[in-house]
Amino acid sequence: MAGSFILRRIGVALATIAAIVLLNFVLFRLMPGSPERVILHGTPRVTPEILEATRERWGLNDPLLPIVIDQSGISFAAENQFTKYLAATVQGDLGYSFVARGQTVGAVLAQRIWPTVLLFGLGEIIAIAAGLALGAYSGWRRGGPIDFVGNGVSLLLYATPYFLLGMVLLMLFGVALRWFPIFGMQTAGATYDGPIEQLLDLGSHLVLPVATVALGLIGQYAIVMRSSIVETLSEDYITTARAMGLREGRILRGHAVPNALLPTVSLVAINLGYVVAGAITVEVVFSWPGLGTLTVEALQARDYPVLQGVFLLLSISVVVANLLADLIYGLLDPRVRT
Amino acid sequence: MSAGVMTPSELRRERWRLRGRAVRAFAGRYARRRDGILGAGILAVFAALAAAPELIVGPLQTAVTATGGRLEPPAPGFPLGTDEIGRDILNLTVHGARVSMVIGLLATVITVVIGAVVGIVAGFVGGRLDGALMRVTDFFLVIPTFVLALILTPIIRDLVGSGSREVFGIRMTLIVIVVVIGITSWSSTARIIRGQTLSLRERAFVDRARVVGAGPGSIMRRHILPNVINLIVANAVLVFAGAVLTETTLSFVGLGDPFQPSWGQILEAARASGAPGLGAWWYFAPPGVSIVLVVFAFTLVGSALDDLLNPKRRVRR
Repeated sequence: MAGSFILRRIGVALATIAAIVLLNFVLFRLMPGSPERVILHGTPRVTPEILEATRERWGLNDPLLPIVIDQSGISFAAENQFTKYLAATVQGDLGYSFVARGQTVGAVLAQRIWPTVLLFGLGEIIAIAAGLALGAYSGWRRGGPIDFVGNGVSLLLYATPYFLLGMVLLMLFGVALRWFPIFGMQTAGATYDGPIEQLLDLGSHLVLPVATVALGLIGQYAIVMRSSIVETLSEDYITTARAMGLREGRILRGHAVPNALLPTVSLVAINLGYVVAGAITVEVVFSWPGLGTLTVEALQARDYPVLQGVFLLLSISVVVANLLADLIYGLLDPRVRT
Repeated sequence: MSAGVMTPSELRRERWRLRGRAVRAFAGRYARRRDGILGAGILAVFAALAAAPELIVGPLQTAVTATGGRLEPPAPGFPLGTDEIGRDILNLTVHGARVSMVIGLLATVITVVIGAVVGIVAGFVGGRLDGALMRVTDFFLVIPTFVLALILTPIIRDLVGSGSREVFGIRMTLIVIVVVIGITSWSSTARIIRGQTLSLRERAFVDRARVVGAGPGSIMRRHILPNVINLIVANAVLVFAGAVLTETTLSFVGLGDPFQPSWGQILEAARASGAPGLGAWWYFAPPGVSIVLVVFAFTLVGSALDDLLNPKRRVRR
């Protein structure tokens, strides 16, 4: 792969991350209310001296930006909030949670990240495999019964909010049939005889949330794969393959699918941003202890540092995933490496 | 029509005749799309609900005016059952249609206006301005805009101070949601419109307009905009579907307004009251089915329009 292509893509990704960090600073400064009151919340008998000491201690008396413009002209401030914020963010210091007293945002996020990765990793893998297979088959047998039903179901699933799907699955398979647990990651207060029992318990808790995520995604992947296959099948090389007398199954697997997969690579990456929205709500429905429930808890408690930490973490993940998709695309299709 | 010079009034009449013919031809082609007709039919039903909810189910029930029991299944008098404070679910769902559809409509207008202006200006002016506008567009395309909307909504609400002010009969809390959806979801519209503008810019009629002395603003308004309006309409329908879904999701995570419940807000209330765990399907099925049907219908209409109006897709067919 051409070096300049890789470097330029990495450059764009870094610029995007820089813009996200900047946006985070601006958003935080937009917030009404004074930070020192949040810091001192619950402290009895706050005197003006304590207030002032707190402002000094947390750097709130420093100017906002490194360049200060006032009556005396333009001056430069070495001690300013923006530079401090930037330095702290680069070092991974995202500040303290307003609600979880004494815990850093980083620690709060770290507790919640793995359940989300597990849930969405599994959901994505199942959705990609099933969605692409369904789309490829419907496109190949265009106009057939599977295509008709598959297309309708895909469109309906695409129109369904994730959490609604989750509520339906929860009621059917969790409450009515009692097949699977509906709450959290493991049975509350359970003691396990060994790691296998523990894993099984986790697995049964995973079924419904993972099924929700996978069903929510399958529709979109199938729709894109279907139109991609339909387009590929009209290419000349498919006609050539038919003329050479290759069997249909071989044409589909060997010629059509590999070429039709290309557009879906970037789709999966672009969609990640929307998946994040679904992630948050699915976790809420099943009380899954991941970043989604954390986001909603932080939202209800107006825990802005945690919210911004979530935004930063999720945005950077999506940007990095897009970068990887671009690079994979470049690896698969030499035409885009310009 | 005789050959030769036409008077201005003849010219105007002729223009309207041609427009009328184009609209009839388009309606004829649209009528042959079964999916498009199905979608339009579903939307007509929900538009009727949204237009006059009071005529159908009376005024919105509140905790004070509720007459039913707690979480009662469908029964005569309460065809869709009741919620946890005894309100009629049918009443809530029909009133929710107005809230969800109006929020979706207003958010779509903001989204499409921002997207179209950015797209036309970036594509027509080109150069550094295009570069800068497209950087911003790409930024909004790649970041998870829903999470941004999630953070922006409470911040802007605190800034404007919600109170009980109303705009277009919509409470301020929901107007904030409209604005937030608008400013976070215009990027794909801008991309599409810019692409079309780039190719229009090179066409002869634009050069001709420039030669007779038309300025850039007038060319964009009078020559570019009429030629991308088809694309804008087709895109707006799809944007509407997305806006309804975004509003639903924002309400579901607790950013809705309980005093003016949208479908998403009813679903949030259903989840918070434990309806799925209690098997109270009648609480979340009506708003849920409404959302799915509306978004489904918009997708059908949008893709039918896209096939008929989008020049790129027309060529391929």
